Amino acid sequence: MENVLVLKDYKTVPDIVHEYSPTLKFGHIPLVIDNGSYQCRVGWSINDEPNLIFKNLIARPRKDRCKKDAEPPATPPIQIGNDIINIEAVRFQLKTQFDKNVVTHFEAQEQVFDYIFSHLGIDNDGSVPHPIALTEAFVTPNYSRQLMSELLFEGYGVPGVSYGVDSLFSMYKNDIGDTALIVNCGYHTIHIIPVIRGQVIVDHARRINLGGSEMIYYLHKLLQLKYPVHVNAITMSRVEEILQEHCSIALDYQEEIRKWANPDYYEANVKRIQLPYVQAATSSGLTAEQQKERKKEMARRLLEINARKREERLAEDEEQLNQLLAIKDMIEDGDTDEFNEAIKGFDIKSYEDLQRQISNIHMRIEKNKQRIVAAATAEENLETRPTGRLNPPTEPEAFQTWLNETRSKYRELVARREARRARRAAMVKRRTAAAAERMRVISRLAAAGDDFGNQDSDWDAYKSISREADSDSEADGERLMELEEALREYEPPPANSSQHHQLHLAIEPLRAPELMFQPSMMGNLEAGLAETMEYVFKHFSPEDQLLLANNVFLTGGSSQFPGLKERLERELLEMRPFQSTHKVVVAKNPSLDAWYGARDFAGSNEFENWCISKEEYYEMGGEYLKEHYASNKYYKSPAPIVDNTLAPSIDANVVKEEIVVDC
Amino acid sequence: MTGDSEKTYRFKTENKFLVKSGCKKRMWRSLKQILTAERTLPWHNDAVLYYSINAPPTFKPTKKYSDISGLPAPYMDRHSKLFYSNAEEFATVRSLPMDITAGYLQLRGANTIVG
Repeated sequence: MENVLVLKDYKTVPDIVHEYSPTLKFGHIPLVIDNGSYQCRVGWSINDEPNLIFKNLIARPRKDRCKKDAEPPATPPIQIGNDIINIEAVRFQLKTQFDKNVVTHFEAQEQVFDYIFSHLGIDNDGSVPHPIALTEAFVTPNYSRQLMSELLFEGYGVPGVSYGVDSLFSMYKNDIGDTALIVNCGYHTIHIIPVIRGQVIVDHARRINLGGSEMIYYLHKLLQLKYPVHVNAITMSRVEEILQEHCSIALDYQEEIRKWANPDYYEANVKRIQLPYVQAATSSGLTAEQQKERKKEMARRLLEINARKREERLAEDEEQLNQLLAIKDMIEDGDTDEFNEAIKGFDIKSYEDLQRQISNIHMRIEKNKQRIVAAATAEENLETRPTGRLNPPTEPEAFQTWLNETRSKYRELVARREARRARRAAMVKRRTAAAAERMRVISRLAAAGDDFGNQDSDWDAYKSISREADSDSEADGERLMELEEALREYEPPPANSSQHHQLHLAIEPLRAPELMFQPSMMGNLEAGLAETMEYVFKHFSPEDQLLLANNVFLTGGSSQFPGLKERLERELLEMRPFQSTHKVVVAKNPSLDAWYGARDFAGSNEFENWCISKEEYYEMGGEYLKEHYASNKYYKSPAPIVDNTLAPSIDANVVKEEIVVDC
Repeated sequence: MTGDSEKTYRFKTENKFLVKSGCKKRMWRSLKQILTAERTLPWHNDAVLYYSINAPPTFKPTKKYSDISGLPAPYMDRHSKLFYSNAEEFATVRSLPMDITAGYLQLRGANTIVG
């Protein structure tokens, strides 16, 4: 048997509270936060590696409502990021501050910031005295940035903030020049961003609204539908693990999946994933063998009880017979008085009555004796023939042939039953061959003369037109049950129950990541990665196209599928003009390079100039953004059109801002 | 009360958006609402907004794959509307219970009547 892949079920380790050294405290060291919708990476700009890496998730356990009266409701602590040891246990209470790749839920964001700052050990009174370099989504809506600035400046009193785009940080970190086509595969989105001579060409950038989370969802659903028995064992986190460790991108999807139609290829390449399982023997408590033993034992005991009862009754009867015989002796001795006394005690009226009773008891004793004998022989029979006529031969070779025969008989019966069912189903429908045949038989029956019934086979006509189950199928059904039972009893048990808890992955590991190129597979009508790249290329002059194609930069967590680079090269070869060149560069660390880039940015001398200061925040408003090489473009929100003819609608707008809902 | 939402930190004088449990909560706009609001504003022509960089709709014909195996699927079961690739799969498709077929259709986004 081939190797079976075992799920590792990774557990997180809760973060420690880092030391807040005086250098950090008094040095106004910038803090770098790569706030991704999958993971958040946090660290000081003077560090080599981020201090904290955790999933941007919050688990808010619900209050125990039933215990409300007993004591004040003890709110279980909120778990954030790596506090959540077992995500599956709190799957339904998970929250995130993100809606797709944009932060929208700022209460959750505040909790995450609390988590970040407290785990960095910041103990300054009243404020967080560090400028912050924070990543935001490409083309973040101003509304979202405004709330983020509001939170940081007013909630934490930070001295300055600078916003940047993760994929641009990653690009500059990798030092690939200032012209590139960035392909950033994230958790919720794929961005294709053209950068020419350091300028981000925003209006030709495109975003595919699909990412790692959609792939996880897709694979999760796919496996659950394939293995409905294991619905609960196939968890999101396990699927995430499968996606990260066993999935890849096909170079030529069509060709690759066509290979899988071949059963030999399937056998040789299928991935078997072992789900955790409990040994069947321990779960059911008893093996089939033991259960059979137990049943037999019970039957034997019942027989014993019956036998004992019969013996008792026999003894009783014999005793009564003796008494009655004694009374009979009395009258034969001529002792009439004593006889009359005695029969009163026995409720007997006359001598005839006595005789009748004696003969009755005789008969009863006789019957009982016969029964005892019969029971004894039956018991012996039971011992020798436990399963009736389906008794397999004992020697192994003959047993094997017997087993095979039984199996084939069983299959034949099943096939016959299926055929009969299909015929009956077809007969019910109009205009099928079976229905036509039935009508033909019926009309022939109607026309049949007096000689109908001379032959027994004539009556079979009724069987063939009956829509109900006929006697044939009943007989077959009985036989089928018999065979089934025999097979269940003698079929060697499956070699390993662990096989029942295996997921067989065939096309699935290719199918889930293929969503990137064919979002239509899950009903998304957007263009796939290759098509969108082609679309983006079209907007540039041939010279710029060539520049971009020669520096396609692949980054982001979901870009780590094996084969993605080769696939992109192939797609470029297809879409680019004949004999033109192209090159795909993969980020050194696709998931962490954004943080490293932001760290370099925050560590540079110019960082202070790129920071939005508190004064600027108050002056320019929360949505204000200082542009730099890795930032979004700032478009000041225009004032809403004030339409005086529709005065109430303005009110409605204002009200919308402050919707308050009871929790 | 030992709830985390009531926990205080030295670096923070008061909560900005966090509210005590049991108090009225602010409703946060979803991304969709934010984008709709953004759209209504009279933006300058060269402004690039979140919704304007959506990927174009696909112009390539969508390929059909068997719902159960993922193989290329030339056929569709008229009864359940599932795609299948060969006779063997057809037998499987026919034996699938309703909830499973509905699940496959939903996964493919083909469960809407408009289709």
